[in-house]
Amino acid sequence: MSQTNDRRSDQELIDNTLAGDANAFAVIVDRHQRKVFRVTLAIVRDESEADGITQDTFVQAYMSLGRFEGRAELQTWLTRIAINRSRDFLRRRRFLSLLTLHTDEDGTTETMLEPVDERPDAERQLLSAQLRVAIRRAERQLSPQQKVIFRLRHYENLSLEDIAAHLGLQSGTVRAHLFRAVHKIRRELAGWRSARRMKHEPALQ
Amino acid sequence: MSQHYSEADLLETYYTQPGQSMPVMMHLAGCAECAARYERLDHKIRGLASCHSARTPDAFWAVQRSAILRRVGAAANHSPFARVTRMAAAAVLALALSATLVWPLVNEEAPVARTEAASEITEPADPWESEELSDLQPIVEWETWVDNGGRS
Repeated sequence: MSQTNDRRSDQELIDNTLAGDANAFAVIVDRHQRKVFRVTLAIVRDESEADGITQDTFVQAYMSLGRFEGRAELQTWLTRIAINRSRDFLRRRRFLSLLTLHTDEDGTTETMLEPVDERPDAERQLLSAQLRVAIRRAERQLSPQQKVIFRLRHYENLSLEDIAAHLGLQSGTVRAHLFRAVHKIRRELAGWRSARRMKHEPALQ
Repeated sequence: MSQHYSEADLLETYYTQPGQSMPVMMHLAGCAECAARYERLDHKIRGLASCHSARTPDAFWAVQRSAILRRVGAAANHSPFARVTRMAAAAVLALALSATLVWPLVNEEAPVARTEAASEITEPADPWESEELSDLQPIVEWETWVDNGGRS
């Protein structure tokens, strides 16, 4: 039977898995792996790491499946595990980058996420590039917690309420973290703008 | 004169108060220029944020899925529950084996052991021969002599 066409509900699949049906868990993985991977990738910004964390998420979920009480949707539960693991990864990477004095913790992973813009307008492309760079620079100054929140908002377009629910925070706290992130992006953009003005209008300086 | 919003100004609304900031939303409703700017910003951010998962080939998901299931299988074999189950099964097996092997031996030795144990606790036929009365032997003998003499 094709896993994607399996009509069993998540709860039925969990029950079947706990009863020893290995195929049931394969269906769960097939149904949710894309979303889990996307959320993880949004946070860690590295495809290979996101793949590993996605795998870890499902292994952890499998080992804790007996404790899943069904109060939240399975998707929400998996997403929460994935976010927590991604956050741990960011913390660990930050710690390691402090030890090795590696300033760019995101490495060279940015190249894989090019902006998608159907209109090849030169000015628009320039502005998109500026915004992308500003966001990337601002992200480096954020704490792991702020980074997770900003990336879930930016890359996954999750609502503040969803982010708050996933992280167990008040939505006001999420908003405050986002505000700081936006403030840093604005500062970066302002830097770009003034640099551009200096370049194009040297006589005014 | 109403103030226009720059893209940088609109960033905050976009991220932290999408559709909720009344002053900004009211302004956008009446200002085509700022509304277009907000729309451009929205398009730009969505473009920047667009993930490449849509481009991820099916093979990637298949490989990932099989890796997960392989790890799940390995983890299940090494889980604490599995370990406890294995230990319990080993204990039950050991008990069953020892019962099978040792029981016949115990069964054979048991009567001897029981006999020895029984002899240890058996009271002597003559109470005067018991350990507790051994110190009183002379008296016993004397009394016996007296009795014998008396009778004789």
